[in-house]
Amino acid sequence: QHGRVKVKTTAQQEEEKRKEREKKLQIYVAARDACFTKRKDGVFDDEALQLTQQLLSSNPDFATLWNYRREILLHLETVRNQDEVQKIYEAELSFLESCLKVNPKSYGSWHHRGWVSARLPRPDWARELSLCDRCLSLDDRNFHCWDYRRMVVKMSGVPVKQELDFTDRLIGSNFSNYSSWHYRSTLLPLLHPQAPDTPSQCGNPPPSASPQTHFHRVCEEQLLKEYELVQNAFFTDPNDQSAWFYYRWLLGRAERDEMISCVYVSREEERVAVAFSRPVNAQSVGLLLILDGQPQRVEWQSVHPHFKNSPVWICSLPPGTISDVANEHNLTVHWTEKHSHRDCALYTGRSESWCRDTATDLELFRSELSVEKTSVLQSELQSVRQLQELEPLNKWCLLTIILLMRALDPLGYEKETLAHFQTLKDVDSMRSAYYSDLCSKFMIENTILKMEYAEVRVFSISDRKLTTLCHLDQLLLVTHINLSSNQLQQLPPQFAMLQCLEVRIGTLFFLLFFINLNSEISTLADLQPLASCPKLKRLDLRGNPITQTTNAEAELAGLLPSVTDLLL
Amino acid sequence: MSAQLKDVIIKPDAPSSLLLDKHADYIAAYGSKKDDYVSKSVSSSVLVQGKMDTINVDKAVEFVLSCMNFDGGFGCRPGSESHAGQIYCCTGFLSLTGQLHQLNADLLGWWLCERQLPSGGLNGRPEKLPDVCYSWWVLASLKIIGRIHWIDKAKLRRFILACQDEETGGFADRPGDMVDPFHTLFGVAGLSLLGDEQIKAVNPVLCMPEDVLQRIGLQPDLLS
Repeated sequence: QHGRVKVKTTAQQEEEKRKEREKKLQIYVAARDACFTKRKDGVFDDEALQLTQQLLSSNPDFATLWNYRREILLHLETVRNQDEVQKIYEAELSFLESCLKVNPKSYGSWHHRGWVSARLPRPDWARELSLCDRCLSLDDRNFHCWDYRRMVVKMSGVPVKQELDFTDRLIGSNFSNYSSWHYRSTLLPLLHPQAPDTPSQCGNPPPSASPQTHFHRVCEEQLLKEYELVQNAFFTDPNDQSAWFYYRWLLGRAERDEMISCVYVSREEERVAVAFSRPVNAQSVGLLLILDGQPQRVEWQSVHPHFKNSPVWICSLPPGTISDVANEHNLTVHWTEKHSHRDCALYTGRSESWCRDTATDLELFRSELSVEKTSVLQSELQSVRQLQELEPLNKWCLLTIILLMRALDPLGYEKETLAHFQTLKDVDSMRSAYYSDLCSKFMIENTILKMEYAEVRVFSISDRKLTTLCHLDQLLLVTHINLSSNQLQQLPPQFAMLQCLEVRIGTLFFLLFFINLNSEISTLADLQPLASCPKLKRLDLRGNPITQTTNAEAELAGLLPSVTDLLL
Repeated sequence: MSAQLKDVIIKPDAPSSLLLDKHADYIAAYGSKKDDYVSKSVSSSVLVQGKMDTINVDKAVEFVLSCMNFDGGFGCRPGSESHAGQIYCCTGFLSLTGQLHQLNADLLGWWLCERQLPSGGLNGRPEKLPDVCYSWWVLASLKIIGRIHWIDKAKLRRFILACQDEETGGFADRPGDMVDPFHTLFGVAGLSLLGDEQIKAVNPVLCMPEDVLQRIGLQPDLLS
């Protein structure tokens, strides 16, 4: 039960109440038992209707009784003519209305109404819609009513535009609008779909229903109008969280095209690593490896110890296949299910090779910006900044400013982003762990973006208060990693995706795999993922609690046999 | 006029320590009284686990994913608004079917951690009052997707403890209300997820003690 306040009473009042409850209970139990007996005996008479009505009026959550009532009604359908059935069901709707007045949140009542409406010989959908209007005017967060409305709209073919206008009216006049904004998010892509721009999208339904796939197919013209609508909402009431949630969705981007994003081959290890744009189960997606025109029988292994779905998969080639450095080889990996493939040529004299997606990384983490959209977002950023000055303690402003900066220029706004995150953690300290992780994610994205212009095999991100690691599937090719002076407490299992991690002695960038001085790496388990990095030779753990444990050196040597250079 | 934040105030004299013995007595006594009626049962996914091969898992996954919304959450049906109870069912389901990678864990985790109100309690969706049962629906969901650290554990614990009834034992939906077994279960389970050492570890997917699941060799996927 919800919302029942505990009220203290005297012993006498308790006794009186108990007697009263006892009496009511007896009546109730008698009626209930009578119903069950009738049902068992296959009786579908008027008395059954009356009894169930009596009981359901005071307890509409008694699902079994609604079931029985439906059995009675179905029976009546077989022995009455259509006009009589129409009257019976209209009476049912009337009964339901009285139930809903008492308890507008009963799953049983709403479900039964839906059932009746669908069976009514001559349904009056306009009346049903108006019932929803009335119900929502009393409580526009009643999800039972919203779901019922969606059914009515579907059954009676109400135009999407009309429903969109309905949400406009609600949003314009009421606060606590989350249900309306949510409904809008489902209507917009239907009314204003984005034109499909690649052959793989034309006519095919989205592969999986995710917020990105379903909901970003809104054409830009409408998207820009929507920004304006939402902005009006949160400027009118900066504490109306629904508008800010909705706005975050608008700022997000569509899902990446599904493809093989990288193929890496190592001659020495005779190993192929493949990275996908999303986690897949290589065993079931028709993954084919062709070497010099010949299909190869290989066993694909996920780099994640437990999950069947991973963005990175590896396989070994038969010994001797590519080991001779004098030979050139051509590899193709086919993702047959998605009609996607990637080629990789291993040239003579080269010990390794790779081929990765050349689409600009800027689209990896944010959506492409047209001139118009850029201009709109820039003015939005300015407006939200102004709002933030008026409402310095409003966390939604701060977060939204960060999101706008990410959308416009992630690298250019890096410093400001960090500063805003710090303020955000002060203003909304309950969620400071969330903000730390989100900031870490953005800093990692920036580092990956910078790698495009520098060196794709070095990932260096130190002193950024990193609390989490992500996008590790983007680091398949990385040989050197520097994570010093951060706040990582453990390494995620996904660390095994860094298949190339190694030491190259003698280069400017020593492999320095630092774990921060302020960190909490204290148990062997925290380092478990490193055991899956086959090339890791040097590990610097100085400053971590684990170095203080007895027998640390021997235990670490056992966990990481390939590491020859261990600094404690 | 701005939207007022719905929340509760925890009084200074609210219970602040775990009254385990009182709760044990409450549960033991429940059901022995004549006028208690059987509460709505919470469906168990153990049944699904045992009969996985009798359902079309791919179709079921497809249906669940079609209920995913713009905010990363799930509603009752395709098109329904996100709700913590539904989110719990869907994340648990996706864990049991090995499909957790289909979630947007960062987005959903954010929506879930925004359920925490200044009182420390969790609500089930935006602009609703906190309720101790959401200490389970929301918390377990966060645990399944590996983001339980995104809520303030100390504040939530304080809220859950304040929902205890010092006289009768048991937990209510919010401080001062009537207790019932439903909220008692989820109050205790929530405290377990928060790491209370006086309570056995509870599995977030199946809401059962971990030692029981270990005994039968069941370890559903969790994101890290």
